[in-house]
Amino acid sequence: MNRWILDHTQAIHDAWKRTSDRLTQFIVLVCLLGILLAIPGWLAQIWIGMASLVPEDAVQSEAIVFLKQDLEVEARIDLERTLSEMPDTDQIIFVPRSAALEQLSKQDGLEPIADLKANNPLPDALRVKFSVQGVEARENQIIETLVADRRVLSLRYYPSTRIQYASLVEMLGFLGIGLSVLTVIGVLMAVFLVAAADVVDDRRRIELYTLLGASRRFIRRPYLYRATLLGVLAGLSACLVITFLNEVLSSALASNLKALDSRLENIPMDGRILIGVASIAVLASWVGAERAVNRRLNALH
Amino acid sequence: MIEFESVAKVYDGQREALSDVNFRLAPGEMAFLTGHSGAGKSTLLRLILGLETASSGAVRVAGTDLSTLSGEKLARYRRRVGVVFQDPNLEEDLSVYDNVALPLRISGFSESEIPKRVKAALSRVDLSDQANASPRVLSGGQQQRVGIARAIVHRPALLVADEPTGNLDPELSARVMRMFTQFQQLGVTILVATHERAVVESLPFRRLVIEQGRLVSDGMGANR
Repeated sequence: MNRWILDHTQAIHDAWKRTSDRLTQFIVLVCLLGILLAIPGWLAQIWIGMASLVPEDAVQSEAIVFLKQDLEVEARIDLERTLSEMPDTDQIIFVPRSAALEQLSKQDGLEPIADLKANNPLPDALRVKFSVQGVEARENQIIETLVADRRVLSLRYYPSTRIQYASLVEMLGFLGIGLSVLTVIGVLMAVFLVAAADVVDDRRRIELYTLLGASRRFIRRPYLYRATLLGVLAGLSACLVITFLNEVLSSALASNLKALDSRLENIPMDGRILIGVASIAVLASWVGAERAVNRRLNALH
Repeated sequence: MIEFESVAKVYDGQREALSDVNFRLAPGEMAFLTGHSGAGKSTLLRLILGLETASSGAVRVAGTDLSTLSGEKLARYRRRVGVVFQDPNLEEDLSVYDNVALPLRISGFSESEIPKRVKAALSRVDLSDQANASPRVLSGGQQQRVGIARAIVHRPALLVADEPTGNLDPELSARVMRMFTQFQQLGVTILVATHERAVVESLPFRRLVIEQGRLVSDGMGANR
C-alpha cells in the first residue's frame, strides 16, 4: 500500500488510541467546547434572526418635504426627478398646497380653514417614500441633502419601525461580537491547555520519535487528527445546543413573533452560523494542538 | 566518522557543560565515553544526535557540520544514526515487531522490506520468538535487546548508546556488549557512554574519559 496512506492510517489509529485512553477527559472537553462555542453562535443567531425580522406594518420610512412658497414649477420638477433617481427612494408624490388644505379641512374641527383657499398659507410638498430595504445611514444621508437644499423649506422624517429596530439590533450586535470574541479566545486557550497537557504526557514518545528521525509532520500528525476529531465533535455539540436554544427562545416568544409578522412561527435558524461555529471549533482545536506540539518540539532543541 | 573540534557547550551563558573537546572516531571504530554523572557525557551525546548545538567549535559526523542542519535535513541525518538508551523507551502499545519496525516506517521503507529487516534485527538480538509479544511481558534485559534491535534495524553507520547497561545485571551487560562488538565488526561506528568501569575495562576498545566537561584522557582499555 502507498506509504502516505499507511502513515496517515497509522496516525489516525494513534489518534483514536489516545482518545480512547482518555475518553472521559475527551468527552468532558467536547461538552465544554460545545457549550462555550454555543454562546457566540447563539448570540449571532439571535442577532441575525432579529435583523431578518421585518414588521409587516410601517416597513417604509417616509419624509414630507415642504417646498419654498415661491418655488418655480421647473425647480420642483427637477427636485422630484433628482429624488426619484436615488436608489433608496421608492415613490415621490407631489402634494399641492390646495390638496393639503383640503385634506386638513376634513379633519375634525378644522373645517373653517377651507375658507383660506384664496389665501392658502400652506406650502406645496413632496411625499417621499423610501424603499423597503432602506438602510438607516443612507436614508439619513438623503434627509441631510434635502435639509441643505435651497428649494426645501423644511421637512418631517418618519423612520420606519424597521429602521428604529435596526439601531437596537446594531447595538446588540456590537455587544454580541465582544462576547463572541472573548468566548472564542477562551475556547482557544482551553484547547491549547488540553493539547499541551497531552503533549507533556507524551513527552518521552515525542523525544523518541525525534531521535529516530521522524519529521515534525510525522510527529504532529496523530495530535492533529485527534484535534480535528475533537473540533468536529465540539462543533456538532455547539450546533445542537444552538438549535435547541433557538427552539426554546422561539417557543417563549411565539406570540410576540406572530404579532411582528403573521408568517413567523419561530426565529429562522441561519445555516451560516452553524457552519461558522463548526469551522471555528475545528480550527481552534487544530491550532491549539499544532502550537502545543511545536512548542514541545522546539523545547527539545 | 565523528569529529569534535574545540567544542564547547555553555548553558544559560554561564554553566559550562563542555570545554575545548577534541577527538575523532574513525569509521567502524568503537569507543567508550566514561565519566562521573554530570561530567558532560550526555551533553556530548546530545551534540552528536543534533539535540544541541555547540556554543563554539564544530561537531562533524561523516563530514557534515551538524550546526548547518535543521528541520528535515536534521531528521534525515538522525535516520542514519542508531540510538540505544538506558531505559529502552519502548512503545508499550505496540508489539515488539512494531517497535523494531518504527525507525523503518519513519524512514519510509516499503512494507515489503520492513518484515525482512525486522526479522534480521530480532534474530541478531535473539528475540525472533518474541516478535508478537507486548514489551510489557518482557524482562528488562529483553526490553533492552528490543531497544538495540530498533537501533540497528535500519543499518545505521553510527550507533550511539547512553548507559545501555545501566539497568542490567553483569551477565546481561556482558551480553549487550558482545552484541555491540559484533556490530562494530560489521563496520558500524559505535560510541557507548557509560560510567561502569567493569564494562569498559573488560573490553579492548578506545576509552574517552571526560571530567567536568573536559576530555582528560583518550586511550585504549586497560585489558587490551
